[in-house]
Amino acid sequence: MGDFTAHVGEHLALALSALTLALSAGLPLGVLAAESTRVRGAVLALAGIGRTLPSLAVLMLLLPWLGVGAAPAIVALALLAIPPIVIAVDLGIRGVPSAMLDAAAGMGMTRRQRFVRVVVPFALPLSFAGLRTAATETIASATLATFIGAGGLGDEIVRGLQTDDPALLFEAAAAVAVLALGADLLLGFAGRRAANA
Amino acid sequence: MNPAALRFDGVAVRYPGSDRYAVQGVTLDVRGGELVVLLGPSGSGKSTLLRTVNRLVARDAGRIFLDGKDIDELDAVELRRSIGYVIQAVGLFTNMTVAQNVSVVPSLLGWSRSETAARVDELLQLVGLDPARYRERRPSELSGGEAQRVGVARAIAARPRALLMDEPFGAVDVVVRTALQRELIRIVAELHTTTLFVTHDVEEAFRLADRIVVVRDGRIEQAGAPFELFEQPATPYVRELIHAGDDVYRQYFTRGREILRSP
Amino acid sequence: MKRTRALALIAAAPLAGCAFDPSAIRVGSKNFTESFVIAEIYAQSLESAGMRVARLFNLGSTQIAIAALERGNIDLYPEYTGTALIDVLHLPPINSSRNAYAVVSKAFAKRYGAVWLTPSPMNDSQALATTHAIAARHRLATLSDVARAAPALRLATIQEFLARPDGLPGLQHFYGGFDFREVRTYDIALKYRALLEGKADVASAFSTDGAIASDGLLVLRDDRHFWSAYNVAPVVRAATLAARPQIARVLDAVSPRITDRAAQALNAAVENDQADPADVAAGFLRS
Repeated sequence: MGDFTAHVGEHLALALSALTLALSAGLPLGVLAAESTRVRGAVLALAGIGRTLPSLAVLMLLLPWLGVGAAPAIVALALLAIPPIVIAVDLGIRGVPSAMLDAAAGMGMTRRQRFVRVVVPFALPLSFAGLRTAATETIASATLATFIGAGGLGDEIVRGLQTDDPALLFEAAAAVAVLALGADLLLGFAGRRAANA
Repeated sequence: MNPAALRFDGVAVRYPGSDRYAVQGVTLDVRGGELVVLLGPSGSGKSTLLRTVNRLVARDAGRIFLDGKDIDELDAVELRRSIGYVIQAVGLFTNMTVAQNVSVVPSLLGWSRSETAARVDELLQLVGLDPARYRERRPSELSGGEAQRVGVARAIAARPRALLMDEPFGAVDVVVRTALQRELIRIVAELHTTTLFVTHDVEEAFRLADRIVVVRDGRIEQAGAPFELFEQPATPYVRELIHAGDDVYRQYFTRGREILRSP
Repeated sequence: MKRTRALALIAAAPLAGCAFDPSAIRVGSKNFTESFVIAEIYAQSLESAGMRVARLFNLGSTQIAIAALERGNIDLYPEYTGTALIDVLHLPPINSSRNAYAVVSKAFAKRYGAVWLTPSPMNDSQALATTHAIAARHRLATLSDVARAAPALRLATIQEFLARPDGLPGLQHFYGGFDFREVRTYDIALKYRALLEGKADVASAFSTDGAIASDGLLVLRDDRHFWSAYNVAPVVRAATLAARPQIARVLDAVSPRITDRAAQALNAAVENDQADPADVAAGFLRS
């Protein structure tokens, strides 16, 4: 049982690392896409493709470049988490009413102040929605890390399969679902708090 | 308070990426404390002209002076913080309360919290909103008229020496509009703020203006007191514009704002 | 019995060439690379000797294969002494190839009416493998060496190896030690990458894995004879063999040629080079 807990911890660590990486790339990309029509076309097209790629395929396609281990797993998961974040951030920012931006500029806010005081608060709810999607998808996809030796609950699922242990299989799958649901609820709560702040 | 004098000198603005001009050869003097209405149909360039004052629109020719100082020599952001700006859609920040909206410019200027709080209450009173009831409201909880009042309060919060208003009352119904017009006259008279007011509504122009500037295709057709335009329209266009609603408003023209101002 | 067979043969003559050929020897295989290749070797050997062969490959498991043999759906298939011992007869593992073979042939003759022909030297047993460089660095040649050096070593394996009694738990119990610094599980096709990318020092394996040949890996010697023998041999229905004794002659001639090295090369060709098992078998028989 201690092993199972360890795998839960590993699973969360993988997902968290991947999401952090995804945010650090996805947030700026989303902002860039919202501000420049040229960039937006390219970025959203890539994001659209990225959303439809099967996670396992991405993992395997990266093998020749990144090899096996935790780092490649995190990169693959991050790549899959970036599209929903980018799409949501772009949408959120572009949804800011132009009247607000005009008023903000006219009353003497600098670009940075406009972004921080007007754009960010307005775009926050949608961005959080994107993060929620990314988080649940990442937690589910992190089961694939087992294939390349990165551990996580995928190890338990494969063990259940290879030792013909349906109980273990169910337990592990249920654990993944609980984690994903938990993340969804937590972020939903946090998103509402942030929107009302 | 020291109201600012505003001077336009040969101001021109081109349409982006085009050789045609949105505003051409505008030369105009606005006295301190004056309420000047820029009157014209949509597309006449009046909003563009308005926005050259706070440099939201870049000029292609000419100069603008605020109290004798060339506005190009001032930092744009600082300039904007010293000029009030009110737009038709109001643009209240939905993530902030009414009080926070009104506090924006004072806080940008580094006012203390107590100063700002006192000012907010003062302003809400001024625009006819009970501070106790409206301070913590969100923009989504306001009617059109209330929102625009907050917009005006926000614009004059830091005691700007000039006020730019772009068809601010166009989105509210007639009854509310009339009330807001009266309020504006009162506020501007009290604060002596030099005001530039854009509208396409002739009636509104006649109600509010010390002077009306008729703008057509980016040029000034005529500038003068309301009765001047009425008695002596300089061009057929001005005559057509002013007298279009004559049959209804004939009784108002001679006595102008006096009728509206009386209690 | 012989007469019925002869009649059946005559009656079936017009059907010659069709898949449902009663005179064809039906060769089965299980559902993994090595099984396909060896079954192909058997099949092609019989065909070269003039016999007609029908292939019923890809039987899902040992249980399915045995049942097919018993019922007469197939005539022969390649089976491993270790698998027969442990998974079919549910007996404890026997490390000695000879003894394992003796036990299974006796039991199969009695219980399933099946005959074990001459076994091949190749022993597809479990193993631990490493690179020559790592072996040199940590001075590893045998499993005892690994058991001792484990706290400094990282193991790459599959989940099943951690759970099965003759996997890591068995090694730890039998040899002692084997307390690895780190144990990580991979997809079976990827575990050698960890070794080659320097992310692991030892990998669990089967001693005839293609990667051992193609990646130049070293198999550590089971010095205390823990793992069961897994020699492959054709297992034939007694009835079929009685009717066609030449089957034994043909296959007994080819079985001794299937060594560990040969098997590794065959597996590598199919897995790495995407060669067809039939082509690979043909190449082997020609050499």
